[in-house]
Amino acid sequence: MRRFQKTKERLKASGAKLKYTFLITLTLSISAVSYAQIDTTVMLISKVDFQPQYELHDGKIIGLMGYTKTLSGAIQIPAPTLIFEEGDSVNLNMWNLSQGAPHTIHLHGLDVDQANDGVPNLSFEVVHDDTGSYFFEAPHPGTYLYHCHVTSVLHVQGGMYGLLIVKPKSNPNLTWENGYEFDNEYAWLMSEVDTNWHHDSIINHPHDPQAMTHMILDYKPQHFMVNGKSEAQLDATPIIASVGEKVYMRLANIGYYANHVIFPSGMNAQIISSDGRPLPNVVNSDTVKVYPGERYGVLLEADAEFNDVVQIDYVNLNTQQITNTQEVDLTVEGFIGVEELTNVQNLVYPNPASNEVRLPLEGTWSVCDLTGREVAKLHSEDVNYSVSHLKKGTYVLRNTKRPDWVVKIMIQR
Amino acid sequence: MMKWVLMLCFWNAFVSEAATVNTSLYILRDSIHFDNGAALPYATFNDVNAFNAKNARIEVNVGDQLELWVVNFDSDPHGFRIKGETSAVTIPVGDSVQVLYDCNNAGVFIFHDPMNFPDNASVGLAGMLVVKDTQHTGFYWNIKEHQVGYSDSVFTGSSPDWMSYYPDHFTINAKSNPNINNDSDARIVGNVGDTIYIYMANTGQSVHSMHFHGYHVTIVYSSKDPTQIGWLKDSMPIFPSETMILELVPDQPGEYPVHDHNLVGTTGGNIYPQGMFTTILIAP
Repeated sequence: MRRFQKTKERLKASGAKLKYTFLITLTLSISAVSYAQIDTTVMLISKVDFQPQYELHDGKIIGLMGYTKTLSGAIQIPAPTLIFEEGDSVNLNMWNLSQGAPHTIHLHGLDVDQANDGVPNLSFEVVHDDTGSYFFEAPHPGTYLYHCHVTSVLHVQGGMYGLLIVKPKSNPNLTWENGYEFDNEYAWLMSEVDTNWHHDSIINHPHDPQAMTHMILDYKPQHFMVNGKSEAQLDATPIIASVGEKVYMRLANIGYYANHVIFPSGMNAQIISSDGRPLPNVVNSDTVKVYPGERYGVLLEADAEFNDVVQIDYVNLNTQQITNTQEVDLTVEGFIGVEELTNVQNLVYPNPASNEVRLPLEGTWSVCDLTGREVAKLHSEDVNYSVSHLKKGTYVLRNTKRPDWVVKIMIQR
Repeated sequence: MMKWVLMLCFWNAFVSEAATVNTSLYILRDSIHFDNGAALPYATFNDVNAFNAKNARIEVNVGDQLELWVVNFDSDPHGFRIKGETSAVTIPVGDSVQVLYDCNNAGVFIFHDPMNFPDNASVGLAGMLVVKDTQHTGFYWNIKEHQVGYSDSVFTGSSPDWMSYYPDHFTINAKSNPNINNDSDARIVGNVGDTIYIYMANTGQSVHSMHFHGYHVTIVYSSKDPTQIGWLKDSMPIFPSETMILELVPDQPGEYPVHDHNLVGTTGGNIYPQGMFTTILIAP
């Protein structure tokens, strides 16, 4: 990173004017030279909305600050989830196109060295039109966060946050080496939105290097979110499981309230990890309390079919009163067992699906309901399949040429 | 034979360290001043007859007996107890009481004024009793938040509305960013490989979620949830009236922040940056 910065200084001193694309290429190539064993290079673009575009559950449209992976991509809450393998050498580049404030990426919980910690003054900040590069080796498998640490109270509320997940090298469906194996996983990043903090004068606050302080408003959030959605928006992201299926829940809180996540007792919740480390003692508890900055890993396994909800209470840290409650549907349907779900499940997209789904292989797939009865066949010469004729529900699909390839999809409309 | 001699030596060393600790606390009233110029009326327990918004800290070893005099130099009557350990006693204006306490268990205990709880404690009358069973380097955080107007209410005899509490200043040892780093009790300084203990007490009414950059720490004591002992964490809540001890063994040099991750806690008087934010400084 330092070598890259020095190179940039020399370029600037010589008056060289580089096209941004060339600068990015230079960034990547120099980084590759600096760290010969880089396994993964990721580019994030930090930017802000000049016109409100992010729709909340009540139809209100707000502006965000955030990170995207592409120039044209709309800013979303949360930012893209970054997934690495344990031991990966990672070069995380950021290109700041905010037109205003500087930004950083703080790698929350990764215990990186000071130079890569993403804290202005103690490491470095990236001003508009500039790029920066963070280097780290993905540490313990687990769930982490990344977020901007510039005027953090505003930039985090603005939307500059995402999940960072480190998986074990040997098996992505393991919690950690010699840990727990799971069949499916969900990651929930919880937060709140106070729309008054998304006024254009805040989201696009001017950058004055001489202005060392910022005024803030009282924090009175009106929207309480799981992965940037709330209320009816959450209907599209249920938890679907089979009896006996091991589901790994990654819970993280980047908001300024506490989250009390309450699972139905039939899910037999076990808290097994926190903050990227296994717990020395497994805690059997239906309620998982996640405070700002914390992450928890929870194993779920139902022993009967049922429909219920996962309840998330948002608790005011000053009064310890529940301010809001959100619910996510949970369905336990069918039984796992004929075939184990394999890693190919990760190649099914979108899931839940409505009209079309992308599957891991082209050809023909046998569609069975969760009792094992074949209800349809899907045919395609590429990997995109029409599923508009399937009724709402959960199905097990088996590829006819590779019967060991079994995936599960949910149809939802 | 040699083993028994060594054990006897260790036993003697332990017994000889147990002592009677005589000390006094003086209840005094003045003001706490924040870095943005705001000030609130404030009362604290002081180890000398001179006001310090920081509150005195009493430090003893396991096995010691504490013989404590508490003197009320304020113009209102006050109370005293070691929370969860001793009975509440009332101290009239100008009077004093003696409190005896056998320090049989290691940990951090909050001593405070229990009158009209949490009102009197909220205006500053809450400090830390640290009972140690280790000689590792220690740092001490009396964590607290404040709302303008609330202490005025308490000092004029009315109780604030805690259900609408919205604190606007956040302190460690009565200081906020950047002055926490000027407090040698609070600012963690050490070397790679050191074993450092952080003794924390939340004497406020809000939950604070402390986040460590650069390192995970081990929870070695929690008054609220002992099941968390042994957990390796980079973020952890500390609840009102909870005390915790964290063990930090730095494995890399550098300067790393520690702060409340309810990021509103890193402000003061609606100004950012202030509040509960300090840095750890670790030399190679």
